Amino acid sequence: MTVKTSSARKNGTVRAGAEAASEPIPLRYGDDPYVWACWLYYEDHMTQGDIAEIMGISRATVNSYLADARARGIVNISLEPSRLSSLSIAQELKRHFGLHDCLVVPSDDNTRPLIDRLGGAAAQALAKLLKSGDTLAVAWGRTILAIGEQASVPGLQDVTIVQATGGTAASFAYTPELCASAIAGAVKAKLINITAPAVVSTAEVRDMLLRETLIQSQFGALAKANKALFGISSLRPNSTIHTSGFFESVSLQQYLAKDAVGVVAGRFIDGQGKPVAGPLDDRTIGISLDMLKAISLRIAVAGGFDKVPAILATLRGGYVNVLITDAATGRGILNADGVTELDQKLSQRPRVDNTVALPSNFRTHIKKFLNDPNDVVEEMLDGVVKANATYVMPIKGSHRALVARTGPRPGKVGLVVGGGTGHEPCFLGYVGKGLADAVAVGNIFSSPPPGTIFQCANAASGGQGVLFVYGNYAGDVMNFEMAAEIAAEHNIEVRTVVTTDDIASSPLEDREGRRGVAGNFFMFKIAGAACDRGLSLDACEAMTRKANARTFTMGVALEPCSMPQTRRQNFEIGPDDIEIGMGIHGEPGVLREKMMSADAITDRIMDRIFSEMKPAAGDRVAVLVNSFGATPLMELYILFRRVEQRLSAKDITIEANWVGHYCTSLDMVGASITVMHLDSELTELLHHPCDTAVLRIG
Amino acid sequence: MQQFDNASAGDIVLSLADRIIENRAYLSEIDGKIGDGDHGVNMAKGFGMAADRIRGNDMSLATAFDTLGTVLMTEIGGSMGPLYGVMFTQFAETIEGSSSIDAGTFSAMLTNGLDGIQSIGSAKVGDKTLLDTLVPAIEAFDAANAGGKPFPEALDALVVAAEKGRDSTKDLVARIGRASRLGERSVGVLDAGATSCALILETLALGAKQKLQLSATVGR
Repeated sequence: MTVKTSSARKNGTVRAGAEAASEPIPLRYGDDPYVWACWLYYEDHMTQGDIAEIMGISRATVNSYLADARARGIVNISLEPSRLSSLSIAQELKRHFGLHDCLVVPSDDNTRPLIDRLGGAAAQALAKLLKSGDTLAVAWGRTILAIGEQASVPGLQDVTIVQATGGTAASFAYTPELCASAIAGAVKAKLINITAPAVVSTAEVRDMLLRETLIQSQFGALAKANKALFGISSLRPNSTIHTSGFFESVSLQQYLAKDAVGVVAGRFIDGQGKPVAGPLDDRTIGISLDMLKAISLRIAVAGGFDKVPAILATLRGGYVNVLITDAATGRGILNADGVTELDQKLSQRPRVDNTVALPSNFRTHIKKFLNDPNDVVEEMLDGVVKANATYVMPIKGSHRALVARTGPRPGKVGLVVGGGTGHEPCFLGYVGKGLADAVAVGNIFSSPPPGTIFQCANAASGGQGVLFVYGNYAGDVMNFEMAAEIAAEHNIEVRTVVTTDDIASSPLEDREGRRGVAGNFFMFKIAGAACDRGLSLDACEAMTRKANARTFTMGVALEPCSMPQTRRQNFEIGPDDIEIGMGIHGEPGVLREKMMSADAITDRIMDRIFSEMKPAAGDRVAVLVNSFGATPLMELYILFRRVEQRLSAKDITIEANWVGHYCTSLDMVGASITVMHLDSELTELLHHPCDTAVLRIG
Repeated sequence: MQQFDNASAGDIVLSLADRIIENRAYLSEIDGKIGDGDHGVNMAKGFGMAADRIRGNDMSLATAFDTLGTVLMTEIGGSMGPLYGVMFTQFAETIEGSSSIDAGTFSAMLTNGLDGIQSIGSAKVGDKTLLDTLVPAIEAFDAANAGGKPFPEALDALVVAAEKGRDSTKDLVARIGRASRLGERSVGVLDAGATSCALILETLALGAKQKLQLSATVGR
């Protein structure tokens, strides 16, 4: 295609072209400037800026011509149908079965055997999914060996590959040993084999072998697996499972008679994915289905139409959360599970994209340290449980309910705190000796459910009752009240103090309707000390109520916080505005004002606090200057400086103070100031020793 | 016949879950305007978990509601967990003894769900909550019923009233929950709970209508 404009541009005569803009549109474009713009953009690959100059119009007009041209059908952007189809099937599989991820290779490419193509796709997926420090359990099969042969995952450190089942006779090429070793070679990982047969002659032999120290240590490594890679075998007559010699054919018939449809890591499942009991169960050495399900990332690679029932069963049973298959199999699985609207979706035209290009430095998303946004809470808790292991441990294996290692003891009132996440170090940083005995952890900005809270109450109970202390939010109140009812059914007496320290959130007449914010720090400290001193449930409750009545907080937000799920700010503050009375969930504040100096902001807050606290000269207080997440210590100290000036001007002594991140709101820019009006009892409890991840006294 | 079979209607709850998951981003977005922006995410999580337990198990509508209610109530937390949890649990308890569901049972189910919500929450109509959708929807359904309208038409009336109720929250001042602290600033924004409630009622009505059609064809 010879195009005049293109050569003109190469000759550096763009300017001349621009001057000629008033000339009529070249004949070959008809009278249509849209076609002209599209030609220059799509065929000549010119930039929108250059096109604007040539056509003598603004860049924005070029942009809207291009967008309109798509809307009007002048330009059609099409995806290669087989790729679109496999992408749609992957998305539908992911959505329908709630998978973490799904990869579907196109089916119409018959140049290579399916096993090789699945192996190649899985090899690529493995390179993305496997991280340094992982332990990967690897099962066996033709597909798994194909992955090992094609994978190359360089650059990872400290990866361990563990063979997921015992070994078999080398009567076929893809034995468990070889599969694990191929993957370990591809990843340059440490390899741990299970040095026992996959199936032994009797249950006694299995139990004996499992007691061997060596095998125990190998199973110990297997139990540490955080990722698993396995194939799925069908039990159809043509399946390699019959010829592999892994199972005796007699036993296989017994499983088939009980409606087994597939084998996952050497274990039999029925059409719904439920385990099928049979003669080999007690004689099998290898990963159990329960162990497999406990692994967080479970990658299954399988394809072929005969495997549809087995893969569907594996999906239904929840054994897999990353599926790698081919388009025909994927479609078969969806059809078999009643998804029929897929073909409709495939025939839909892609949506017209009318978005106007924004400047390249315009941001719509906040950068965050994330892996999968849906896993933020779980992954944070994984980190917390490890980082704070000297202070807390999970209750019954759940990271959502943590108990202090040296907290609960007989004769002591138990203290349970909790709430949504996103406020770290609230609430889980305050668990330990002399402070909270247990914490219930919810989703981001969302109360934990009653069952979790009850587990905490149960773990915290020392026979003298349990005190619940949490912020006043509708969701928390409902869930904690339901938990208190469950605890009562279990003969645990629960008292509750709902914290209401945010003086901006409601007028004084409605003190009880106020929300609980960073003042929780003081309420937890006082409650924890009262409990640790062995006071009665009545006295612990009374002390905490007193602390709540004498604690006053007000916050100011300068910039909104952004949610990990959306990576977008969840509300807006104008460039010159601030929000006074901001809550800790990004709820917009009570009033919006223009930005002012740090001292002016501090004065606004302190004036409100003084008007409610009504201090006298000589009084003593405790002060907390708290960041909402993104405000640095530098600015917090600037605020504290002014707080101290205002207090000392009234001849009020600061008995103790804390400046830092104590109750945050994700990455919100802003801070809150809390003052607790002390008396002798509160002073004594404030100084009572405690030892937690975030606060240590004495 | 103006009734449908309970035993084979559990898949209605799966379509409920689908609708909520589809609208996850939308619900979070409207929640973000006056709340913390997590409504869609938490709802999708809860409904998705329930759907996983229901799918492939061939449940009755009562059992599927019970599964959904239990998941929401015990595993989701937040405020919507208990509120919708108790609603669906009450739905389940109302219909578990009925082999088929007619307009009377359907009305009793909705009313008991509402009672459940009111027993744990303190909101009233006009407070800018899900009740602004639920209460007028039930009233419209009952009125159509009392006026002798066939079951499917009563369901249409329910949907119209639910959508109108949802839209009414735009002009209301929030009086309960976190948004209540905003006072007048909550005006002009839909309530996320009222919006998800309308989605739930619409999907429920659509599912029931399809089942009615099916049983009519089979009955002939």
